[in-house]
Amino acid sequence: MDSGFTLWLFAVSVGASALGGMLGMASGIFIVPILTMFGHVDIHTAIGASIVSVIACSCGAAAPFLEGRLTNVRLAIVLETATTAGALTGVLLAGIIPVAFLFFLFAVILLLSAQQMLAKRGEPAAASRSDESGRWDALHSSYPDRILGREVPYRVDRLRLGMILMYGAGLISALLGIGSGVLKIPAMDTALRLPIKVSSATSNFMIGVTAAASAGAYFMRGNIVTAVAGPVALGSVVGAIAGARILMIVSNDKLRLLFVVVLIVLAIQMLLAAFGIQVVKTSA
Amino acid sequence: MKMEWLLAGLLRYGTWLASIAIAIGLVLAFTGSLTPGMQVVTLGIGLFILLPSSRVLLMLIVFVRERDYRFGLIAALVLAIIAFGVVVGMHTPSGGPA
Repeated sequence: MDSGFTLWLFAVSVGASALGGMLGMASGIFIVPILTMFGHVDIHTAIGASIVSVIACSCGAAAPFLEGRLTNVRLAIVLETATTAGALTGVLLAGIIPVAFLFFLFAVILLLSAQQMLAKRGEPAAASRSDESGRWDALHSSYPDRILGREVPYRVDRLRLGMILMYGAGLISALLGIGSGVLKIPAMDTALRLPIKVSSATSNFMIGVTAAASAGAYFMRGNIVTAVAGPVALGSVVGAIAGARILMIVSNDKLRLLFVVVLIVLAIQMLLAAFGIQVVKTSA
Repeated sequence: MKMEWLLAGLLRYGTWLASIAIAIGLVLAFTGSLTPGMQVVTLGIGLFILLPSSRVLLMLIVFVRERDYRFGLIAALVLAIIAFGVVVGMHTPSGGPA
């Protein structure tokens, strides 16, 4: 084992996870492009390492959200039937889809994330309707809002549309080794119309299980290479803790801009790789 | 809100356990014991992969004990899908070099 390479993997993961964590994005979206572009790691190995780090970040961040009663665990388990089914589909497709297409798809997701970063999330408009059947009433809940100083009740809307979007999020998560918050957040905000705090907490909670569905399969397949996945997972946990601390100091708008620039640069490189134009060598 | 605290505890201590295993393994590998070191790292990775499933299992147990069988069934379905994924992983070819 090359100890220099291990340290590089660790350091890169700390950085990626700190940056991602500061804006509520999983580190996976940076890790796969960096490992393939600069570390000359095979894309399937990079995806395998990334998916483990996605689990680590999700599990590591879950506790405070749960204790603050922001996570809707019942809604999470219902939506997880869709995300894990999507992940399973992704596992089946991962071996068949050409590598060039994976690079292309990754570039698209990076650009979508950049666009989402620029558009600020507003609190979804409260639904003025209650025509939905009472079958899923157990999902409606409330959360304690510290700023308002009171309990805020909310309803879960359009569950079917939410489930379809979550299936897609699970599929993309498994194919690319990312948390796919980029698809989960619109699903939560636009389809289910949840308060932002609830959707962020619930999405983070679900990401771990979604990633575990594909990670289990990739582990059995031998796509999770210990020498790569180990330092990446550990670095991501350290970075996530550091990111939460730095968040208190740095201005959010400057960070957002930096984030968008990084996403676009990585997207361009992934696009070039997809069409076989190699700026930096992409395979070992 | 008993379940939220149980889940928070499981995920918090599980993350610590898996991270410490990976850290110890990497230190061992660096200080000369390469093979046993990497085995400990693999163990830590395995713990991380199992952690979300054990969280679903814990939810299943709590739902059943609260006689909330509908949500218990949903949790069981999620576990079944994950288990099926593992079986699929064992029997389908790898996309990259194994």
